[in-house]
Amino acid sequence: MTGTIVTAEAVGKQVDIHGGSLTILQDVSFTVAAGESLAIVGVSGSGKSTLIGLLAGLDLPSSGRITLAGEELNALDEDGRARLRGQKVGFVFQTFQLLPGLTALENVMLPLELAGHADAAARAGQLMQRVGLEQRLDHYPKQLSGGEQQRVAIARAFATHPAVLFADEPTGNLDARTGGRIIDLLFELNAEQGTTLILVTHDDKLAGRCGRRLHLDAGRVVADEQSQ
Amino acid sequence: MHTPHRFRLAWRLLLRDWRAGELRILFAALVIAVGATSAIGFFTDRLQQAMAGQSAELLGADLILQSPRPVAAAWIAQAESLGLRRDEVLTFPSMVMHGPGMQLAGIKAVGAHYPLRGALRISDTPYGEERNAEGSPPPGEAWVEARLLPLLDMAVGDSLSLGDRELKVTRLIAFEPGNGGNLAALAPRVLISRADVEAAGILGPGSRVTLHYLFAGEADALVRYKAWLTPQLEPSHRLIDVREGRPTVGAALERAERYLGLASLAAVLLAGVAIAMGARRYSERHFDVSAMLRCLGASQGDILALYLPQLLLLGLLGSGLGVVLGAAAQGGLFLLLQELLPARLPPPGPLPALLGLLTGLVVLAGFALPPILRLRQVPALRVLRRELTPLPLRAWLVYGAALGAMTLLMGRYTGSATLTLSVLGGAAAALLLLAVLAWLLLRASRGLRHGAGVAWRYGLNNLWRRPWSGAGQILAFGLTLMAMALIALLRNDLLSTWQSQLPERAPNHFVVNVLPDEVARFEEFLRRQNIESAQLYPLVRGRLSAVNGVPVEQVLAPGDDGGGAVNRELNLTWSDTLQEDNAIVAGRWWTAQDAGQPLISLEAKLAERLGAGLGDTLRFTFGGSELEAQVASLRTVKWDSFRPNFFVIFPPGVLDAQPATWMTSLYAAPSQRAAMAQMARDFPAVTVIDLERLMAQVRRIMEQVTLAVEYVLIFVLLAGFAVLYAALQASLDERLYEGALLRTLGASRYQLRAGHLAEYALLGALAGVFAAAGSELIAWQLYTRVFQLEYAFKWPLWLLLPPIGALLIGAAGYWGTRRVVQRSPLVVLRTL
Ligand SMILES: Nc1ncnc2c1ncn2[C@@H]1O[C@H](COP(=O)(O)OP(=O)(O)OP(=O)(O)O)[C@@H](O)[C@H]1O
Ligand SMILES: [Mg+2]
Repeated sequence: MTGTIVTAEAVGKQVDIHGGSLTILQDVSFTVAAGESLAIVGVSGSGKSTLIGLLAGLDLPSSGRITLAGEELNALDEDGRARLRGQKVGFVFQTFQLLPGLTALENVMLPLELAGHADAAARAGQLMQRVGLEQRLDHYPKQLSGGEQQRVAIARAFATHPAVLFADEPTGNLDARTGGRIIDLLFELNAEQGTTLILVTHDDKLAGRCGRRLHLDAGRVVADEQSQ
Repeated sequence: MHTPHRFRLAWRLLLRDWRAGELRILFAALVIAVGATSAIGFFTDRLQQAMAGQSAELLGADLILQSPRPVAAAWIAQAESLGLRRDEVLTFPSMVMHGPGMQLAGIKAVGAHYPLRGALRISDTPYGEERNAEGSPPPGEAWVEARLLPLLDMAVGDSLSLGDRELKVTRLIAFEPGNGGNLAALAPRVLISRADVEAAGILGPGSRVTLHYLFAGEADALVRYKAWLTPQLEPSHRLIDVREGRPTVGAALERAERYLGLASLAAVLLAGVAIAMGARRYSERHFDVSAMLRCLGASQGDILALYLPQLLLLGLLGSGLGVVLGAAAQGGLFLLLQELLPARLPPPGPLPALLGLLTGLVVLAGFALPPILRLRQVPALRVLRRELTPLPLRAWLVYGAALGAMTLLMGRYTGSATLTLSVLGGAAAALLLLAVLAWLLLRASRGLRHGAGVAWRYGLNNLWRRPWSGAGQILAFGLTLMAMALIALLRNDLLSTWQSQLPERAPNHFVVNVLPDEVARFEEFLRRQNIESAQLYPLVRGRLSAVNGVPVEQVLAPGDDGGGAVNRELNLTWSDTLQEDNAIVAGRWWTAQDAGQPLISLEAKLAERLGAGLGDTLRFTFGGSELEAQVASLRTVKWDSFRPNFFVIFPPGVLDAQPATWMTSLYAAPSQRAAMAQMARDFPAVTVIDLERLMAQVRRIMEQVTLAVEYVLIFVLLAGFAVLYAALQASLDERLYEGALLRTLGASRYQLRAGHLAEYALLGALAGVFAAAGSELIAWQLYTRVFQLEYAFKWPLWLLLPPIGALLIGAAGYWGTRRVVQRSPLVVLRTL
């Protein structure tokens, strides 16, 4: 797959707090090519999560433009962006974010069902097998360990064959060994499906495995380094 | 999202939430609301039918049309086409003779079907064993009241003559449907067959005959017939249904129905509050799920499509269960009341079930929909920033929806839009006022901080930190206490009103026609026989002819007969003391100096109809003479007290020249039957009217109603507890979190628990003050406007409600927050 999948042009984000206004992101511009893997790094509070939220269309920038999979986010309404997310985007979060009311399998089925896939159960079953949890289909998130929950979340994120996968500190809540396995899985699936990977991490090893690293500091891009 | 997927998912989420206990309070509150309304619905439905049946038994029919002339054949045809059963009865006064004896009697000539409802009670010997009559007197026979026998010096088996006809007296009448407690029927009753009327040849053109058309049948046929007939009636016609036939029971019944309706509304309102709180918590606990769903591509519409079917399903299941519960509760009550109720009771109709279901859905829509709708607006960004919540609900939406639902439900109970709107409008305004009051109370209570220990300060700080949420809780708890207090208050006052109306030894006989020279001997007789009686009142028959010189016909609005006080003989009396249950509302009662003065005390309602006030002059005609008297006072009268009551009372010494007989009411215990028979023999002229049967009936109905009223209280209490529980649950998550934090920071369990106790006890006490104020306000409105009861300042409320609130809510809060210290802080902090 070629071409750009994500474009940020002069993106800024301000929020109003206590009468004043706080600038979180300022003049952020970059493009991500399809199939690329990008790590967003920076100290705590530098605006990483805010940026990833904007790129995924969970929120709108205060200034600038973001284009995701060929669609300009500013031009879409809430439901339009939701549809776009459903079709093109997958998520993995630090806190797993599985629905506690659904079994592991049902959690993986959810985006498929939302997108109207007829064979949601079969497809979700395959993915559960792919992440090595075919024995745990009917378990509820509470009954799974943190690493297992994150594997379910990864299966869910890849279920719809997303064009872009966003991950916000996917290993932040896991010990180093489990985190390493999760990363392996993430990259394996990424390679299999040709997905674009955009992740936020504090973990240098993880950042190092990505093709490119975007350094944020106080809301600005201070470096954009490519691996050789 | 595709529809089948959507429903499957909705179903799965619902099932899961159910298992996790998320829906418990919502569901329970709904079941209570629907259970209460449908139990009351079923119950009143059947009770009404049963009581209407009993009243019909007293009346001898479901509906009676009285007319001085035969009515148009079309009226009869219409009744027949509606499938009503019917009979015709003639009543007229006539002389009956036996040997040399002659006596004016009230003749009642009945057809073969009389009575259509209930039964004639007869006996073979005076005051002897009673039994139900089979049918009515055959031609050639007369059934008479026992008091006729001594008057004509005859016995059962003798014949009496009526016009040209000889009739053999075969039975004595003990109770006659359609004549219960009718004082106008002073002449002893002679019941004959209609076939004998023509044979007797006594009904000439000028005779004072009244025709009674009796009807009985299905309720809706009767309603339709009444609706059809009413506009065609002429002034000389009178339509009597079971309600009108029994004013005493009618008033009690109406109050009871209003009470039951009100109590079920209170239950619904309380359950609604609980549902609102439960739904709010449910909604808040689903923010994450909604955000995740939005993140995964669900549109706002998808979110609604996911949650609305859940709500609907929950509504249907909860309401369905509520209806079943209501039916069971109602069945249980009837089982309890088996002794009191007629053996065969109509089964409950399907209508209350339907209305119960509807009530459930309306309550859910009014109270649970707004918070659920909020889920649609959860921002997707919440998956990254958990503190993001959807915009808070607009107050107007929340209260508007609830108010709308209550208006709808209340409108159904009251059947009047203006009453509903004025009550709810007033209530809404009062609520707003009280919310401000709650807030002020909370502010004022900050003074308590000084001198409080650290635990207490922590607990109380919870309240002061968020005064509006605290005010909201006070409102919820206060509303709960208020509804319970109101319902209990009303119950007590209703019951005591009924009891005072019919005390244990209420008069059960009227005695009239005591001759002037017999008064002393009669009083002596009562004393000797140990029979309790009211004062003996003279009875002078006179006609009211003019008000301030204007003929009375011109004073009254056309068609108004002054409640029966005008155009016929009035019972006038004199007395130097005011009856206990009468009350002077204007002017003054007389003193000894007024004796012999032409003054009167006039019943207030009649005065209003006559347009007569203090100082106006009323003219009375007595046979040949006339008398003018000035209104010296206006009185209210309790007509349903079973004591002698009068429209017009003179001071002693004014009516001395007029012929008078004396009357009183008395209580004769069952063991004094013999004395009553003796009275009939010793005072042949005296007429005794037995009210015992009528009163027994009234008592029975009151007992039924009382039980029903108490039963309903249970539902109100249940709903109140649901609110308490829901309110506790609502803040539990936050409290768990706070508690865990405080414990990791070193707070002891004791400190936390004492803090909770302090917080809830103060909340309860403030809610108690709030409830006292609210109850006072609403009770005053209800008493004076809806129940026509006298209202007095209810000071015990102010004394009792605050400590009760502190105790109840303190204890409930203490219990409800126990989990805060039971679970390890680590577990709490991890799972939240
Ligand atoms: N809606 C908001 N209102 C106020 N402040 C906000 C809002 N969103 C973000 N911020 C602030 O912007 C800054 C950047 O936040 P962000 O979550 O993007 O940081 P981050 O780089 O992801 O940090 P971390 O590594 O700790 O997760 C923080 O100081 C945060 O408090
Ligand atoms: Mg972050």
